[in-house]
Amino acid sequence: MTFFTVVVRGLIRRPVRTGLTLLGISIGIGAVVTLVGMSWGYEKSIGKQLDVIGIDVVVSNMSGGLMPKVFDETLQDKVAALPKVADTTTVLMLMLSIEDAPMMMVSGREWGGFTWEKLEVLEGRLPKDDKEFAVVLGKLAAEVLKKKVGDTVQIEADELPVVGIVDGHAVVENGAVILSLSVLQEISSNQGKVNFIDVRVPEGTPEKEVMELCETVNGLFPEGRAKLASEVVGTSQGYRLARAMSWSTSLLAIIVGVLGVMNTMLMTVFERTHEIGILLAVGWKRRRILYMVLCESALLGFLGGVTGVGLGALGLKILEFTPAIRGLLEPDLSPKLLLTSVAIAVVVGVVSGLYPGWRSSRLSPSRALNL
Amino acid sequence: MNEASKGVGSVVYEARGLKKNYDGGQVAALRGVDFDIREGEFVAIVGPSGCGKSTLLQMLGSLDKPSEGSLSYRGRLISALEDPSDYRSTEIGFVFQSFHLLPTFTVSENVQIPMFETGLSRGEREVRAHELLVSVGLSHRLKHFPSELSGGERQRVAIARSLANRPSVLLADEPTGNLDSENAAHVVELLLKLHQELGMTLVLVTHDLGIAALATRTIRMKDGRVVDETTPLTHAS
Ligand SMILES: Nc1ncnc2c1ncn2[C@@H]1O[C@H](COP(=O)(O)OP(=O)(O)OP(=O)(O)O)[C@@H](O)[C@H]1O
Ligand SMILES: [Mg+2]
Repeated sequence: MTFFTVVVRGLIRRPVRTGLTLLGISIGIGAVVTLVGMSWGYEKSIGKQLDVIGIDVVVSNMSGGLMPKVFDETLQDKVAALPKVADTTTVLMLMLSIEDAPMMMVSGREWGGFTWEKLEVLEGRLPKDDKEFAVVLGKLAAEVLKKKVGDTVQIEADELPVVGIVDGHAVVENGAVILSLSVLQEISSNQGKVNFIDVRVPEGTPEKEVMELCETVNGLFPEGRAKLASEVVGTSQGYRLARAMSWSTSLLAIIVGVLGVMNTMLMTVFERTHEIGILLAVGWKRRRILYMVLCESALLGFLGGVTGVGLGALGLKILEFTPAIRGLLEPDLSPKLLLTSVAIAVVVGVVSGLYPGWRSSRLSPSRALNL
Repeated sequence: MNEASKGVGSVVYEARGLKKNYDGGQVAALRGVDFDIREGEFVAIVGPSGCGKSTLLQMLGSLDKPSEGSLSYRGRLISALEDPSDYRSTEIGFVFQSFHLLPTFTVSENVQIPMFETGLSRGEREVRAHELLVSVGLSHRLKHFPSELSGGERQRVAIARSLANRPSVLLADEPTGNLDSENAAHVVELLLKLHQELGMTLVLVTHDLGIAALATRTIRMKDGRVVDETTPLTHAS
């Protein structure tokens, strides 16, 4: 028998209670994994999209909600004239409810701009010109909307034919409805407005110079900001809100977890008062009693964490395939998230065990024995 | 230690004016007790119910602290011990009337429990528990749980456990109180053997005068005081 046996024996003596506690922790940790996985996943998905398209700097006014505010497209010319700018293109990106899908990215792209370059046509074709009243669908968007080439898609008040299905090599691209900028400006009554200027710098430009470029743009466009592609997502207000919500919900789940485990550990040390008296009487140090209780609750946390990570991973997989989310983001299931979650669960366990452990290590052996 | 059991050994316990109050002084369980217990003695403590025998034994085992007076073990005040758990785990063994075994651990595991406080390896713990259980005649019960044993068997497990870290003193509080006469005889025989063969100092609380008669000395208590100390003739030889 090892000390670990003693710890395990403490947990399996009340299998139902231990099981329910484990269930509680794992649901909490599952929620943490799901929420944080979504928020990290969103960040990563956008990052990947920018990377695939080859965008170095994004100019936008992130102070809006989920999507940046629109601004005058004439800014593009000023930005394009700056040194260290190789190429620019404008985008009007809207988050719209389309038919049965509650939220879809609708991306109006300047005709001829580099944002069209990486779109691989799987079926049909791209629009003929910037005036054609037509859309192409990312392959996930086609799946979510259940559309094929030849169908129509209703955007705002207009019915637009689907002329092609494309693979944009990033989840966010594939989840989008893509059309010519001028067409989207027209149907959404945003004539002359865009909300992104995507900028490419010459290959091999040092990051310092790119940052200087951002500064210059910020001078031209005081209400907006130029951001390195790697920083874009973090500065979106909508994303910040979502991230804050996912963390605060997680925090809530963690607090509930701590209370649950603490309650269980308090119950178990109360009902084992007599046995703890025996352990003290046969010479166990108070420290060892504390350690035993901490190990029990840490083990509870660890097991709950592992199960919770499983639940969370399952939850993320399910979410990834729900129509409401499909194509908007690719949930993050990185080892970092999984390990962090298990670590959080263990910390939850240890923290919850501190008070019960301290209580039981303070017991008077004679009093505990005579109970 | 065999030497000690024959003659008069050094002082193991020395109690002077030992008092113990409970409930903020409302209950005076010990009202000033003085005695010496020497190496290798077998001391029986007898007296009517409620006279403070268990209280006294708890002081000896440092399970509780005296309210007044002094109690020392081999010249050191028990109340001043830095860590009484060291004293409890290695110096003494405790045997209780109601066995106090851990129900979720097997017989062998119960005996190993005190060994966690010493530096024994897992293998050494298992071997020693086995040896101890052989010595109390329970080698066939290693993997049983306490609930599967008779009272006498449980008490023998408790005795094996009390010997886990090879203490020199055994404190037993009515170890036969819950046993029928046959099992009681077996347990007494075992304790006597430990006293005689290993020279362990044995302090035993009992209501059974037959058992008390086996002791080298009897401390008689009443109302929290020692009223009489006798050395039975039978043991003078
Ligand atoms: N924890 C306690 N709190 C209050 N009073 C106590 C406590 N422990 C013992 N007492 C009281 O102290 C007195 C001595 O108790 P103790 O258990 O030492 O008696 P005893 O001689 O062992 O009796 P018995 O032969 O019945 O076991 C009793 O009056 C008892 O009620
Ligand atoms: Mg008693």
